[in-house]
Amino acid sequence: MTATAAASALLDVEGLRKFFTVRRGFPNPRTITVRALDGVSFSVRPGEAFGLVGESGCGKSTAGRAVLRLIEPDEGAIRFHGKDVRALDRGALRALRRKMQIVFQDPYASLNPKRLIGKTLAEPMQVHGLAKGAALAERVRALLDEVGLPADAAGRYPHEFSGGQRQRIGIARALSVEPELVIADEPVSALDVSIQAQVLLLLRGLQQRRGLSYVFVSHDLGVVRWFCQAVAVMYLGRIVERGPLPAMFDEPLHPYTKALRGASPVPDPRARVTMMRIEGEVPSAASPPPGCHFHPRCPHAMERCRVEYPAWKELGQGRGVACHLFDE
Amino acid sequence: MVEPAVLSVDGLTTEFRIAGKWHAAVRDIGFELARNETLALVGESGCGKSITALSIMGLIPKAAGRVAKGRILFEGRNLPELADDEMRKIRGDRIAMIFQEPMTSLNPVLTIGFQVAEVLRYHRDLGPGEARAQALDILDQVKIPSARDRLDDYPHQFSGGMRQRVMIAMALACQPRVLLADEPTTALDVTIQAQVLVLLAELKQRYGMSMIFISHNLGVVATIADRVAVMYAGEIVEIAPVGELFDRPTHPYTEALLRSIPRVDRTSDALVAIPGQVPPISRMPQGCRYAPRCGLKQPICERAGPPLEPVPGSGATHRARCWVRAGGTGAAA
Repeated sequence: MTATAAASALLDVEGLRKFFTVRRGFPNPRTITVRALDGVSFSVRPGEAFGLVGESGCGKSTAGRAVLRLIEPDEGAIRFHGKDVRALDRGALRALRRKMQIVFQDPYASLNPKRLIGKTLAEPMQVHGLAKGAALAERVRALLDEVGLPADAAGRYPHEFSGGQRQRIGIARALSVEPELVIADEPVSALDVSIQAQVLLLLRGLQQRRGLSYVFVSHDLGVVRWFCQAVAVMYLGRIVERGPLPAMFDEPLHPYTKALRGASPVPDPRARVTMMRIEGEVPSAASPPPGCHFHPRCPHAMERCRVEYPAWKELGQGRGVACHLFDE
Repeated sequence: MVEPAVLSVDGLTTEFRIAGKWHAAVRDIGFELARNETLALVGESGCGKSITALSIMGLIPKAAGRVAKGRILFEGRNLPELADDEMRKIRGDRIAMIFQEPMTSLNPVLTIGFQVAEVLRYHRDLGPGEARAQALDILDQVKIPSARDRLDDYPHQFSGGMRQRVMIAMALACQPRVLLADEPTTALDVTIQAQVLVLLAELKQRYGMSMIFISHNLGVVATIADRVAVMYAGEIVEIAPVGELFDRPTHPYTEALLRSIPRVDRTSDALVAIPGQVPPISRMPQGCRYAPRCGLKQPICERAGPPLEPVPGSGATHRARCWVRAGGTGAAA
């Protein structure tokens, strides 16, 4: 990351690392280290939606959570408005979380079933001392209106709402403290397409109206292309390619980005001839292959790829890639 | 159609009892499945696509559900009339099904070799050795790497994609004439999904099998289907050959669905959401079930449900359930 880019960034993440150790196996358990994040760097500009894409287990959700320190990273820097997030104590972190919020994938699991929606929305504002009494009720009403829910929703429970409406409630809760950055972790993956479009339009509207920035975690390249201005593709805990959209999906450089792009179905029967297939499956993050993690599945793998992880190369115009094909 | 259909469904209505009253979860479903054809049933949650498949398989739970009307003709017999033991002979042998979640569909305490062989022992009366040999052969065909070494492994030792291959092996063990695939790739990552879709297409070709492919994903449907039936609120609202459906979506719901998908291959700011939501089955509108969400709504749409009629300007193979855009009668009313 160049100095100027970092200075203008709202969020700047550098060399983020998180290893999980688990004890697994019976009757002789072994300790396994899962490299969930292995040196992840990216930055998000004010008002930008930045996508993190990849397949299950690539570390994209861990990255989103580590930014908020919901998962404490082992190493690396997280700077929000230039301020070191990892150095903050509990109180300062809580104050900062007002500015950074999260929306989860599963709107069924992330709302308290025994709590009225009004209370769910009011609580963050009370915790942060933003409003009370009549002003609080008024703000809850305004929030419901902003996310397209009726005012009487405040007096109802989560089970009375559909999946799409619950996701709106989750968004309203995140908005209640007026954040600048929202980590959206697969926010539309559990929704039907027609409802997915409603929620995406809502999120885009908030971006425009409030100048919100997003870290948008998703496995769906179509959704990311529509919603995000820039994207990073992750594979086994590392970013393999990064760049602006739509350029990066129109001309992907890394063989894995190409594979993901080629395997993403398009609603057009004529496109089926271009549907590309790569062999093999994603290896375990507990024992990633040596060299470039992607080499066992890569159609262009060379001798080098088997022994040496490719260095990150900046290619200009915000694009960068980690692949030996782009070595000089 | 020159050849007779392998499977033909006519006027199928399946009902469920909610608070003492029977409500139709699917209504008046009709289609024919030709030999070697892939028909996709596509629609959103609760549209009745899985209920249609379960009705064909005779797997509607008897306590709360019933096939109330209609015929499902297969090899000269009407399936809903068959006794349980007769249906059991067809199921898994002549008609097989694979499900979305391969972990919950496999028995966790039995080896995969045993589970694939069991199908053959039950339906083909094979001895253990012969069944095991055939199981190995079919696991090779679904491209389980080093299948011989993995016969005695348990489901939890396989990845999601490999488990789905095991499910496919079990379903194909008896070389069924019809395979019902209910969201078989939905739980898989896209690169694995692409592998499984190609595998299904290859195996279908090799066995001369017909397939009903259930999905909510129009991209996947475009990849694998020969013909597509779009379902909404328990009804088929449009059915057409795959190219025709994507080129000329005629029912307003199909059209809206296509416009609500963000596409990876092109830039378009015109993402259009469908307002409102699917009505619950206990409160279906009296007329067209899509009318409350439809931009083309006419007075007749709220009075009566439209029939599935040919779309003007296309062959009889393209039909839609819409007063405004299909049939010749509705526009005048």
